[in-house]
Amino acid sequence: MITVWHYLVVAAVLFGIGLVGFLTRRNMITMFLCAEMMLQGVAINFAAFARYHGNLHGQVFVLFIVAVAACEAGIALALFLMLYRRAKTLDVSSWQELREVGVPPTVDTESLPPVPAEPADPQLSPAGRKPAPTAEETVRV
Amino acid sequence: MSDPLGLALTILGLLLAATVLTALLSGNAAVRTFVIALASPKAAAQFALRSELTINPLLVRAAHWPLIVACGASAVLAVQLLLTVAAAGDSVRFVSDPLTWFEAGKLKASFTFVVDPLSSIMLAMITFIATWIAIFSSGYMRDEHHRPDRGYVRYFAVMSLFVFSMCGLVLANNFLLLVGFWEGVGLCSYLLIGYYYDKPSAAAAARKAFLVTRLGDTGFILGIFLLWTLGGWHTDLTALFDHIQKNPPDTAALTTACLLIFCGAVGKSAQFPLYVWLPDAMEGPTPVSALIHAATMVTAGVYLVARCAPLFALVPDAQAVVAWIGGITAILAAFIALAQTDLKRVLAYSTVSQLGYMFLALGTMGAVAPVFAVTAAMFHLFTHAFFKALLFLASGSVMHAMGGVIDMRRFSGLRKVMPVTHLTFLCGAAALAGLPLLSGFWSKDMVLEALQLGAEGSHPHAGSFYLLLLVALVTAGMTAFYTFRAYFLTFWGEVRTPEEAGHHAHESPAVMTVPLLVLAVGAVGVGIVAEPFTHWFSGFLGHTPALQLAGRLAGAADVAHHFNWGLAGVSTLLALGGVGVAYMAYGTGGPERVPAPLEPVYALSRNKLYVDEIYYALVVKPAEWLAFMARVFDLFLDSLARLLAAVPRFVGNWVRPIQNGLVQFYALSMALGLAVFLSFVVFRISR
Amino acid sequence: MTLVAASPNPPAAGQLALAVLLAAVGFFLLLPKPRGRSVAGGTAAVLAAAAVLGAWAHQRFGEPAPDWVGKLLFILFSTGAVGFGTVLVVQRNPARGAIAFAFVILSTCGLFLLLAAPFLMAATIIIYAGAIIVTFLFVLMLSAAGGPSDENDRTREPLLGSLAGFAFVGLILFTLSQTQDSVTPAAAADSADWKRLSPLPAPVLTPEERHTLAEVAGKLDEVGRDSFYGDPAVAGTTRQERMTLLTGIEQALEDVVGKEQGTVRPGSIESRLAGYRSDLQARAVLERAAAVRRLSDVLEKKVEPMVGDRAAGRPAEAQAEVRKLRDEVLLLHGAGDLPARNVGNLGLLLYADHLLAVELAGTLLLVATIGAVAIAHRKGAPR
Repeated sequence: MITVWHYLVVAAVLFGIGLVGFLTRRNMITMFLCAEMMLQGVAINFAAFARYHGNLHGQVFVLFIVAVAACEAGIALALFLMLYRRAKTLDVSSWQELREVGVPPTVDTESLPPVPAEPADPQLSPAGRKPAPTAEETVRV
Repeated sequence: MSDPLGLALTILGLLLAATVLTALLSGNAAVRTFVIALASPKAAAQFALRSELTINPLLVRAAHWPLIVACGASAVLAVQLLLTVAAAGDSVRFVSDPLTWFEAGKLKASFTFVVDPLSSIMLAMITFIATWIAIFSSGYMRDEHHRPDRGYVRYFAVMSLFVFSMCGLVLANNFLLLVGFWEGVGLCSYLLIGYYYDKPSAAAAARKAFLVTRLGDTGFILGIFLLWTLGGWHTDLTALFDHIQKNPPDTAALTTACLLIFCGAVGKSAQFPLYVWLPDAMEGPTPVSALIHAATMVTAGVYLVARCAPLFALVPDAQAVVAWIGGITAILAAFIALAQTDLKRVLAYSTVSQLGYMFLALGTMGAVAPVFAVTAAMFHLFTHAFFKALLFLASGSVMHAMGGVIDMRRFSGLRKVMPVTHLTFLCGAAALAGLPLLSGFWSKDMVLEALQLGAEGSHPHAGSFYLLLLVALVTAGMTAFYTFRAYFLTFWGEVRTPEEAGHHAHESPAVMTVPLLVLAVGAVGVGIVAEPFTHWFSGFLGHTPALQLAGRLAGAADVAHHFNWGLAGVSTLLALGGVGVAYMAYGTGGPERVPAPLEPVYALSRNKLYVDEIYYALVVKPAEWLAFMARVFDLFLDSLARLLAAVPRFVGNWVRPIQNGLVQFYALSMALGLAVFLSFVVFRISR
Repeated sequence: MTLVAASPNPPAAGQLALAVLLAAVGFFLLLPKPRGRSVAGGTAAVLAAAAVLGAWAHQRFGEPAPDWVGKLLFILFSTGAVGFGTVLVVQRNPARGAIAFAFVILSTCGLFLLLAAPFLMAATIIIYAGAIIVTFLFVLMLSAAGGPSDENDRTREPLLGSLAGFAFVGLILFTLSQTQDSVTPAAAADSADWKRLSPLPAPVLTPEERHTLAEVAGKLDEVGRDSFYGDPAVAGTTRQERMTLLTGIEQALEDVVGKEQGTVRPGSIESRLAGYRSDLQARAVLERAAAVRRLSDVLEKKVEPMVGDRAAGRPAEAQAEVRKLRDEVLLLHGAGDLPARNVGNLGLLLYADHLLAVELAGTLLLVATIGAVAIAHRKGAPR
């Protein structure tokens, strides 16, 4: 039979992957999704224990987690919108004003790879002279 | 209304209402000033300057009315109470139903009041004297243009509270309640002595009074709790006395308790060695001095010992201590009073000396019948209240006319300028000196007689009483001398007035002279009316149950009071001799001349026996030295603390860059920390 | 130093450490970096880590399921969740990340279904579908199109972050394995010191007990029928057979729930759960067992006299009692299993036991809505 342990392992791994993503990725939306993934890991834990204990309290807990996650999503996305309006970027590292006085800001030293040049539009050969509209066409317009 | 308890409580209510009403009259600025003054006199001064200008002047001008009306009505009620109690017959005591204040384990404090002859006579005396002092104050506390003084409202509010506290103290039948009113009296005296709080010497005097009496109060409270353990866990006086009567405790313990209680009396009643605050208390307005010296503050200690007579009657050693303290104080203060140049200071030392007399009488409690001893003390207290209030008010009148100058070297011959004041002062001085037929004569005679009877009795300390009788007689002579020295220096000789008085030194207005006249009549006549021929006073006080109980406990024979011609003759001679010497020395007024051989003695008296200096060297200096050492130690601790504080600052500087404002870095630190912590836990548990 | 010494099974711990290390390296290689990333190496490392971890889990916790359908579904969904989670983390395009997240959710919902939580599955899909669409909208609205950007092509401390995260996971898994060593309920249920070892009351009934109870319920069904009391000739059962049936039932019930109060047979429900009286579920089962014990008296007192002689008692009354006993036995038989009506029971629980929490969650949602509106409405000055 599938024991509770298997689910716990899956939940822990899911949580860990989410944690790694939250710690390393700098796009605020990706960070948010990683946090949601951590919540999913916890939800699996609760559901597994509900099954194990043979009652529904764990599932009720998952419902509350979903509710809280919904709140979080609402607030977080609103915050992203505002932050984006002010900084014109989703990079979380652009917000580091709350550092200790006198500590220099952290800046990225490595330069990004160059943007590959857009393929040039094909040049059309010059066409002939534009014919003057005829009287008929003028009337039709 | 003839229910004695109802009357007593009405008196308390009236006085409390007067306090509140006076405070409200000024639109609570006065109240706030008290509160601020308790915390910081300087802030209170600023606040008063700001607020008292904005008080409605009409209301300020009426601020004395609540006190006068309440005191007057109380005096009338107190007299009615006195008559009711007198009519109620022997061994009469009205105790109010206990109203529990708080209860903690065995300790139970309740509001109980007692009306018996002892308390009713005190009540009548206090309210009567206070009424006239209040009337006098309403004239005294104004400047030369009859404008009220700056703290007029505050003055009358505190005065009301003062009288209220004293009446409560007298009526209280529970030790804890008594302590409450006792402290109330102390607080009011502090506020009134420090009335001119912007004057450093007044503030210092107030502080001194408060702290010195506090020394005694500590002993008092310890004594109460010792009594509480000895007396079956009672704090109610009657219950306590009954319990002690039925189960007499160990004599040593009871002696200790009595001496501790007496400590409180020593502080409050300005006895040696804690009398030093009373002369300094002259910094307050003169009517306050009159109130403190005559009716309220200093009589509390005498009253306390009288009230605790059933305890003191059991322990002869404590009686001897009381008598000796009284004797030492009496002669010491009289000696210091001989050469003082400040009129009010002379009177202050005379008060200390007279209080010593009262304690002398109380000390004979076991040697003669306690009823007789207490009657002598209370009678002296009673007459003393009249003439001492009179003397102080008269000197206040002088001071008022002299523009605040009270140094006797700077004025003389005032009898022509201020005839009424002169006459009334003379009455008071004569009574104080104990000239025959005046009230002081009778009461002093009774004290001396108590001493003599004590010396002749079989008391273990009978020998002491002989010595103390001599001391009392010498004191009587000295009293007559210094009183009339002050009188001659002030009122005889050519007319001299200080420049502060201006050119219009004149008699005080009627509002001040009428109380003087009333009190002068009292000073002259109250003694002869109350005691020597009618024996009304001793008979009345003899009905006090507590004193009767004390009498039974002491087992001394009840003696009838007979006029002692021999003793009276000696004391009269001494008094007349004192007056005569004073006349010879100062009868012409003018500057003081001291014969060369007496120069050192004079200097000794003049400098108050250097007691203040001795106290300074013995108490203040070591305290200052200790404070200095404590400061050095504190500095050491401070530097240690700074050293300790430097370490975190250094570490903080070092780790500060960690706080770099990057959210993800914080989260990473958190995860790493959690991992480390978790590994620690996991590997610790699994091992 | 302690990693090896601490574990009673050193190779397993080493396996776990290896998996953690491999996963961290793989993520480090896969995460987007300005100098480019190594997709092939990273994928290989991550797959290797997954293999090592799978092997470890298999070794520690055994075969996931005896039935291959369940096993297949579990492996499918868990691999899906973990795999798409990995994709979400390492994908530099947030739009694709959102799609990967959708698959993570779907896989999770599959796991929910396997865990007998159909309502959770439906709710999660519905709510997250909305959330993901909104997120998608945001990504399209806010993300810079095309070229490399700070937020998508840089990562903060990729090596340290991966190491920290997976070390954390490794520690949790290690703790799990340590705990699992001391208690494997299914295996320990029969042993006498099950009570001492297990920190959890579940499962409250052993499979054997469940089986016995189901059998007893079937026999009681028979006892409750009219024919049981009728003429032996008509019913086709002899008196002897009936008595055997009855004593069999009595014996079985005595084995499971005990005969009467006071004599607790070692290994029975009573003795096993005695240490968990504070646990709600254990208490409910104990009460149920007590009810069964109480009702089982009826067999001896009312049914047995009637076995040969119908007139000796009141069959209608006895039948009713037997039916009641049967219901109780069935209830006890199902104790410790999830109720069949998932949604109904969930709703009952929400509004009976967790009403305050529901209200609070509702308030939280309302406040969050207002907050979101207020925040999004504010016009911050651009920097």
